Amino acid sequence: MTLLLISLVGALGCVVRYVLEYAVRRHHPTRRPWATVAANALGCGIAGYAAYRLVGASDVHLRDIVLTGFCGGLTTFSSAFAVPAILQREHHWGFSLALVITTPLTCAGLFALGMALAH
Amino acid sequence: MAANISLQPREFVMALSSTAVGGFIGTLLRDVLTSAEHLPSPSSSLVTWPQEIPWVLLIINFVGVFVATRLLRGPLRRRDPNDLTRLLIITGFFGGLTSYSGLFVDLAAIWHVCVGGAIGVAVGAVLSGVLAGWLGLARLHR
Repeated sequence: MTLLLISLVGALGCVVRYVLEYAVRRHHPTRRPWATVAANALGCGIAGYAAYRLVGASDVHLRDIVLTGFCGGLTTFSSAFAVPAILQREHHWGFSLALVITTPLTCAGLFALGMALAH
Repeated sequence: MAANISLQPREFVMALSSTAVGGFIGTLLRDVLTSAEHLPSPSSSLVTWPQEIPWVLLIINFVGVFVATRLLRGPLRRRDPNDLTRLLIITGFFGGLTSYSGLFVDLAAIWHVCVGGAIGVAVGAVLSGVLAGWLGLARLHR
């Protein structure tokens, strides 16, 4: 049952990420993955908050549903590195490098901020 | 190919459904695979940081980047970002299968045991993502 809930909430996280990407692309047509960076940062921020808040939670399933499900679905490692690789191949070296460096730093910063807010 | 920027309501519902189906399967698979790996609690005094390395998630992320890069430059190259197949496979399945937040949750556990170890694993994870993307392209351009 928990596995089903985790998967359903993970699907919801993916949908939220897509809606974010769709909204950004619709208003500012670009191939640059700003929305993916934002989704990853947001997901890591929520994960930081939830990881701290739910660390001693009596309901361990809730932790899995939020962290593994929603945050896992909202964030994506595959697009975060596939898109820069493709941009680099298309000679957008600077932007590709900036994405590879700034995305993990942004995610780390938001994760830490989430933990700090939960503290 | 010009990107299909704006969708009609029915198309948008189809896009959401496609993403959700892929995301469901990807998340399910990630949870099953990562559950098979039992990482020790970082609060235990007997735990060393290498024991906390989330190898399964690192491998999932590596494979996810490799295959996604290969598909985006190969069969899905001319599909726009709202294409249902691309949404099902890339945004949904691989988006749900791989996880950035899960990596940081695991890094926080390593940080609790050894700060240097957490930084080392974080750098390794980023380099593995870069390598996977590069390998995904290299195979196509051979």
